[in-house]
Amino acid sequence: MLPFLKIMVKNLLAGPSTDPFPFAPAHTPKRFRGRACHDKEKCILCGICRHVCAAGAIQLRVTEDGMAVHWVLWHNSCVFCGLCAHHCPTKALTMSDDWHMTHRGEERFDQREVSFVPYGQCSQCGARIHPRPESVVQQLGSRYPERFMMCPVCKRQELARRVTPAKPSITTGESDERDSA
Amino acid sequence: MLKTLARFAPRSPWIYRLNAGSCNGCDVEMATTALIPRYDVERLGCKYCGSPRHADIVLISGPLTLRVRDKVLRVFDEIPNPKVTVGVGVCPVSGGVFRDSYTVDQPQESYIALDVIVPGCPPRPQAIIEGVAKALEVWKERLEVA
Ligand code: SF4
Ligand code: SF4
Ligand code: SF4
Repeated sequence: MLPFLKIMVKNLLAGPSTDPFPFAPAHTPKRFRGRACHDKEKCILCGICRHVCAAGAIQLRVTEDGMAVHWVLWHNSCVFCGLCAHHCPTKALTMSDDWHMTHRGEERFDQREVSFVPYGQCSQCGARIHPRPESVVQQLGSRYPERFMMCPVCKRQELARRVTPAKPSITTGESDERDSA
Repeated sequence: MLKTLARFAPRSPWIYRLNAGSCNGCDVEMATTALIPRYDVERLGCKYCGSPRHADIVLISGPLTLRVRDKVLRVFDEIPNPKVTVGVGVCPVSGGVFRDSYTVDQPQESYIALDVIVPGCPPRPQAIIEGVAKALEVWKERLEVA
């Protein structure tokens, strides 16, 4: 009899189902992809993020003196696919769950994530190399820290120096035999 | 008399949705925002309307494709002033993933100036509500000036 009464009472007891936002904070799932965050302390300027970005939101601009890079992400172009964070080798890029990005039209170009990442210097010749942040050195360069900070040319020379003996050995048994014969 | 009207009128603006060639993602979220009791944009005193001539706040989605450009602009011109334009999604601002496409007429700003932008692809319904709330502020400012 009157089955809707049962439903009505049930719904009354359950309370409103409306999300309280904007009068109270909204529930955000943990894995929600919102604003991308860049940590310049971990960035090695590999450019993978720019390469994979679906919307072309990321730019790496070398400064005029060529000693640093402005890393720029425009939030108004980002489609929150998370590809950049997925492919970033050092996890310098992460997706936060912050979705409060509504802004006035005049502020559209302020919606950026900007990092100033200086290039590194070769420990031997001082040439410009990609930055080697502390976290990367700890992961990859802990065995030969000084070689890890070299440019490719110096690294090659250093390796060649290591594997070839300082003086080639002059006397070998073989040549001796031939001489006596 | 007009001042008194202006003080009360902002409480109930009518919202109109304009699809400028969107992929439908943003439109679904806007429909969700309006129709599902869970989000319910009408709590802010707004109401979706079917005619551009009744509208106060326009929600625009999509990058303004060449195919709909003239129609969109014609409808947009029918909306009475002062109107507030809200760009929903990243498409109206930058083109999003459709940027540099040969079917897209960018930048859209050269045709339609956006007062409020809700980034996202698509933005979640709460973000759209946030955008509508911001549009209400803009609208009140406009009415006070007018
Ligand atoms: S943010 Fe990550 S992917 Fe992008 S340049 Fe830096 S290290 Fe490479
Ligand atoms: S989340 Fe996607 S669109 Fe946004 S910056 Fe990263 S790769 Fe580009
Ligand atoms: S912002 Fe994304 S979801 Fe919205 S219309 Fe553009 S591509 Fe579609």
